[in-house]
Amino acid sequence: MKKVNIEIDSKVQELEVRDSELLIETLRDRLGLMGTKYSCLEGDCGVCTVLIGGRNVLSCLILSADCDGEKITTIEGLAKNGEPHQLQKSFIEKGAIQCGFCTPGMILAAHSLLDKDPDPEDEEIARALDGNLCRCTGYVKIIDAVRDASQKINRSTKS
Amino acid sequence: MPILKDFKFHSPGSLNAALALLEKARAPLLLAGGTFALNYLKKVSKYPTDVISLKKISSLKGIKAQGKGLWVGAMTAIYELIGSRAVCDAFPSVIEASSKLGTTPIRNMATIGGNIASRFYWVDLPAVLISLGASVTLATKKGKKTVALEKFLSVPPEKKYILTGIVLPKGNSLSFYFRHTKTAQETDVPSLGLAFSAVKKGRVISCARCIVNTTSSFPVALKKVEDVFNNFSSGDIRMDMIEKALLEDARATKLDDHRLHLLAVDLEKLLGILRQKCV
Repeated sequence: MKKVNIEIDSKVQELEVRDSELLIETLRDRLGLMGTKYSCLEGDCGVCTVLIGGRNVLSCLILSADCDGEKITTIEGLAKNGEPHQLQKSFIEKGAIQCGFCTPGMILAAHSLLDKDPDPEDEEIARALDGNLCRCTGYVKIIDAVRDASQKINRSTKS
Repeated sequence: MPILKDFKFHSPGSLNAALALLEKARAPLLLAGGTFALNYLKKVSKYPTDVISLKKISSLKGIKAQGKGLWVGAMTAIYELIGSRAVCDAFPSVIEASSKLGTTPIRNMATIGGNIASRFYWVDLPAVLISLGASVTLATKKGKKTVALEKFLSVPPEKKYILTGIVLPKGNSLSFYFRHTKTAQETDVPSLGLAFSAVKKGRVISCARCIVNTTSSFPVALKKVEDVFNNFSSGDIRMDMIEKALLEDARATKLDDHRLHLLAVDLEKLLGILRQKCV
């Protein structure tokens, strides 16, 4: 077992994890953060996406013991004071959620994009989401939602 | 039920500490970005006793000028490579290949050292780095050494080593990379890649290297095609001259008709670019 300090969703957690424990196992099975999903476990589908240092990464390909000292954001950490993030609102408003399984990963990947590029073109949105698969194939609505969120965030920043 | 079987995890803070652990462990596995190594562990029964993460070794990170070249630390993530002004200015083919490597989250995690040390010759970077004459720096218990990447990939080195960095020699003022995938998905591994580099002085092109990632064999050099490009300044190069050279190379490299066709298309594009740049 290894002792690690990881900041998860702005809260520092002192955890004792198995040496071979994957981050997705720690988040879901140890901490109950169920927004991070199990699926392919090979880094292909993106449903296990979390942010480390603001960048979207795959928690099925990271050892928890290797995350000592990292700052991690899961989908549960996006809402502030009970208010959903604009990306979450836009996904709902634009009907970008069908079965919902890919949604947390899509939103976190989009969050990473908007941090770097607040006003992306549709092609850039599609490229930034290239590591996230939607099994319902609702990509058009997802891109609509990210564009909508970026416009609303930019408007609120300016005002 | 745990996804991975048990092993001991280590996270040394220095290269010497990592080498000592590597030496001591019965069946060690070095961990860089994890995108190859941890996937591999999900598919094999033969397991490492110890996994040694290189993440906390600061001497394996960064991009800096070294002699007449550029040293890229093995633990430099692919996204950092893509964002490097120094790499972008001197080695555009590295940027082209790196930006097509996997998907966004994979590029956020994977490292150049992990990509090379995994010895997967069918991915994009090996052919590009070979075309640029790159070498790798290795550390073992006996000391440090530098080996040409081409040799490193073709002859397995001694078992217990740590790849510390990649050296890209400056001087190749031209570098291009063309790739094809079987589907329209850019994120697919390539079905063919052509890496070209050369020195350009005025209208004169020299030291041309055409390395093909056939994906079914170790990257191969198109020697006859390289000769044609090296004669670029002596007069007009026509596409039929390149096609003839390509057919001669094809006999030596056993490329199939489909890949030959794709290569001919890429070489025609390359010829057009060189004409624009050298006139």
